[in-house]
Amino acid sequence: MEFLNFLLIVWAAWLVWRRPERERLAFRLLVISCLLMALCFFIGSHGSLVPGVNL
Amino acid sequence: MPLSEERLRAILAWVVIVLVGGPVASAVLLGVLEGDSPCILCWAERTSMVLIALCALFVIRYGPRPRYIGVVVLLGVWGVYMGLRHSALHLARDLGQGFSAAIFGVHTYVWALVIHVTVLAVIGALLLFMREIAPAEGPRLPSRAGRFAMGLFVVVIAANALQAFASTGPPPFFGQGDPVRLSLNPRHWVWSFEELEPYHISLRGSWTIPVPNPAAADPDPAHGPLAGLPALAVTSWERVGAPLNGALSGLARDSATRRFLAVTDHYGVYLLDSTLTHVLHHVVLDKGFSVDLTPLAGAAFVGGDTLAVLSTNKSYALLTSVPHADERAEWRHFLETDGQVSEVALGRFQTVRAHQMYVLSLAFDPAAQELIAVSVPNPRHHQLVVSRFARKDLTLSSEFEPQLTAGLTLRSPDRTPAEYVVTGAVVTDGRLYAISAAYSTLLVVDLKDRTLQAAYAVPGLAHPVGLAARGADLLVAQADGRIAVLARPVR
Repeated sequence: MEFLNFLLIVWAAWLVWRRPERERLAFRLLVISCLLMALCFFIGSHGSLVPGVNL
Repeated sequence: MPLSEERLRAILAWVVIVLVGGPVASAVLLGVLEGDSPCILCWAERTSMVLIALCALFVIRYGPRPRYIGVVVLLGVWGVYMGLRHSALHLARDLGQGFSAAIFGVHTYVWALVIHVTVLAVIGALLLFMREIAPAEGPRLPSRAGRFAMGLFVVVIAANALQAFASTGPPPFFGQGDPVRLSLNPRHWVWSFEELEPYHISLRGSWTIPVPNPAAADPDPAHGPLAGLPALAVTSWERVGAPLNGALSGLARDSATRRFLAVTDHYGVYLLDSTLTHVLHHVVLDKGFSVDLTPLAGAAFVGGDTLAVLSTNKSYALLTSVPHADERAEWRHFLETDGQVSEVALGRFQTVRAHQMYVLSLAFDPAAQELIAVSVPNPRHHQLVVSRFARKDLTLSSEFEPQLTAGLTLRSPDRTPAEYVVTGAVVTDGRLYAISAAYSTLLVVDLKDRTLQAAYAVPGLAHPVGLAARGADLLVAQADGRIAVLARPVR
């Protein structure tokens, strides 16, 4: 999934750089990538969402 | 100095160059040159930095629109959470025991925290100085630095994508918690779903430990894990006649002075005479400030006039009786005092095997000059751990789980001595006697060979909370203030 996420990011950056008129698509890719990143972290920490220390 | 939009774009171009050319690009280089491979949490943190840089590219191209700033702030907050969550796994380890590569002596997960905090600070500073800007009408041609930032971004992130392909695989595979070193040889690539197991979601994981409730334990010895135990009859009953400020939660006896030490669930500490009817000294501890005390659960005389009390979270207080305590100095320690008690020390016992376990007992071994606590089981940790702490420095000396001797048999293979809930303990004749509220059983632990030497059913007990020795007798204190007298088994 990390590989897929970087592809989405490269795609978004490419649009910003070379196809600036596609801002709406680029921003949607940015948001999707943010959610995918958060999902990956959630999967990696689902056994204990809060830091394992005294709160 | 007001910050113009042109200046903002120039600054952000350099922010992207530094962020992408610095940590993100060097992370790829570390992988290629050193074989460094991120774990699943590191991947998310690196991706977050990349996304922050991408947001900066949006601003360079389209101007500082609110939604770009909103996304960056959210990424910063999420990144701080990720850094804290990830760093917490390793921060408390011993010297040099961090996870994976360190950059300038700081591990990558701590850098993730630092960088995301810095991002939030930089956003705040830029917004503070930014001049009011009219909404941008469309994309603008970036400056030379802006174009370089965009090109660098695409190249570096494409390199990251290649590393991610080798290290984590194509979808639907995820990164791993414990990755192997990066290799360009496909034979060594590991693509897995290991992070999806186990499937349950937990807020606090192994830190979800309920407070022990020995009153709810099954008192019937016939239901205990050990089979065929001999019974030990209560020979007589006594009672704590002195008025206490709460339910009794621990009892000790000093054989030299014949005095008793009683503690209550309301932080009361009482030095009683030999008849248990007269209070010689008393204080009520302040449970907050400096060291948190959970309800007191154990008491012991530790030599001379020094008294030790222990709370369920393994915090302890050492007290001593003095003719005239300094009232001003002791005000911070006690909510109530008779003016003749002074605090010697307040601290926390650190354990290893009994980590994340509560205790409900305290004993003192005069021969070894060690304090002893016995852990109580919880849903996460099924162990009966005897922890010994040196009196001299109040530091852990040793820990062990008593092994069964030949004479003791489990009722079935799935039963374990860790089912006992030890609420009182005393050391005498080189043995640790421990009373369990669960299954009303007296355990006898040989402290030399670390074995559970014997066990006895003690029918008729109700919520025992303490154990003391008096000559050839054992005194089992109950929460209701009654004391069962038993003949101490000699085996």
